[in-house]
Amino acid sequence: MDMMVSTLQQQRAVTEQLRREASIKRIPVSVAVTDIIKFINEHEQEDCLLVGFSSQKVNPFREKSSCTVL
Amino acid sequence: MAADTAVAASPEETLESLLREAEALKQKLEEERQKLNDVSLSCVAERLEQITFPNLKLRRVMKGHQSKVLCSDWSPDKRHIVSSSQDGKVIVWDAFTGTKELTIPMPSTWVMACAYAPSGNMVAAGGLDNKVTVFPLGGSGGAGEEEPAARKRTFATHTSYMSCCLFPNTDRQILTGSGDGTCALWDVESGQLLQSFQAHGADVMALDLAPSDTGDTFVSGGCDRAVLVWDMRTGQAVQAFDTHDSDVNSVKYHPSGDSIASGSDDSCCRLFDLRADREVARYTKESIIFGVNSVEWSVSGRLIFAGYSDYTACAWDALRGARVCVLCGHEHRVTRVQLAPDGTALSTASWDCTLRIWA
Repeated sequence: MDMMVSTLQQQRAVTEQLRREASIKRIPVSVAVTDIIKFINEHEQEDCLLVGFSSQKVNPFREKSSCTVL
Repeated sequence: MAADTAVAASPEETLESLLREAEALKQKLEEERQKLNDVSLSCVAERLEQITFPNLKLRRVMKGHQSKVLCSDWSPDKRHIVSSSQDGKVIVWDAFTGTKELTIPMPSTWVMACAYAPSGNMVAAGGLDNKVTVFPLGGSGGAGEEEPAARKRTFATHTSYMSCCLFPNTDRQILTGSGDGTCALWDVESGQLLQSFQAHGADVMALDLAPSDTGDTFVSGGCDRAVLVWDMRTGQAVQAFDTHDSDVNSVKYHPSGDSIASGSDDSCCRLFDLRADREVARYTKESIIFGVNSVEWSVSGRLIFAGYSDYTACAWDALRGARVCVLCGHEHRVTRVQLAPDGTALSTASWDCTLRIWA
C-alpha cells in the first residue's frame, strides 16, 4: 500500500509538472530567433573576444613587452 | 498518514488517470512546440556575415594544484580567480600575474565546485563532503594563509556530493546542486535551508542564474539528461528541455536571458529558447566524439565556448552553427570554461592540473 501511495504521489508530481509546462505561452521560433540576432547585433561591438581589442594596450592579458624604454 | 489524506482529498485521481493525462499532455506539448517551429536558426543566420575570428592566444598558464582542477570562478574584480581541485585545495589566483595568492585546505579531496560571492569578499567550495564551506577572504584576498580556513562556515546537508554552487546575486544566500538529485537554496548566516528544488531524476551537475533583470529564476542540468528552469520563490520547475542523449554537464543563460546553452556527454551543445519553449540549435561535428564538460557565452552571445574531454576547448558561432576556433594546449580533459566578468578573457581549467587564460 505504501508503495502504491508513493507511486501515485510521484505520478501526480510528474503530471502536475506537465500541466505547468503545457500552460506556458509560446512564441514562434522565427520571432525568438530574430530577437536573439537583434540582441547580438546590439552588443557585438562590446565583445572583445569576437571583434578584438581596439588596441592591444586595452587587453589586460597581453604579453608584457620584453623591451622597456629607459 | 499524510500521504493517505492527500490521496483521499482527490479521489478522482487514480494512477491510471494520471498516467493517461500525462501522456495526453506530452503529446499536446509536442504538437504545440512543433506548430510554432516555423523556421530554423541556421536558416535565418545563413544571411548573416561569417565571423572573422581574431585568434584567441594563450596568455597565462597557472600551475599550483597537485591534481585535477575541477572548477573555477572569476572574481567580480575581473582580476582574481578561485579554483578547486581533486587535491583537496582551493586556490585564489591573481590572473594578471598568473600567481597563487592564497591556498585554502578543504576537509576532503575532490572539491568539485567553487564560487566567488558578488562582493568578492567570500568564496564557497565543496564536493565529496556533501557540504558547502564558505570562507571570508578579508578584502582582496591578501589576508594571511591560515585566516580564511579559521573563519570558515560549513553547512548544507545533501545526501550525496555537491557538484555545483553559486551565490544568487547576494552574499547572504547560496544555491547548490547535488548528486542526490536536488538543488537547494541556503542562508549563509544561519546555514538554514530556505528552499529545496526537486524534479531531477538523477544527479544535478550544473546550475546557472538568470541574468538579473529577468527575475528570480535559475537553470539546472543533470544526469537525467534534462535541463530544468526553476522559479526560485516557489521551488517549482517551470520549464523542461529533454532532448540531450546523455548527462547534461553544463548550462548557461544567453546574456539576453531568453535562451540557454547546454553541454552534454553526448558530445553536443544545444541552444534552448525559453519563449519558443524548444531546442533551436545544435553545435556538433562528426569528428567530436567526446563529452562537453562546460559551456560559456561571449559578451554579445554570438560565441559559445565549450570545454571537452578530448583536451580541447573551442568557440562556436551560435548563429551559423559553425566551429570558429579550437583552443589547444591542455594535456587532459577541460573541466571548465569561463568568461572574465568584463568579457576580455576566457579561463579554462583542466585535469592536467593547470588553469589557462586566453585573450
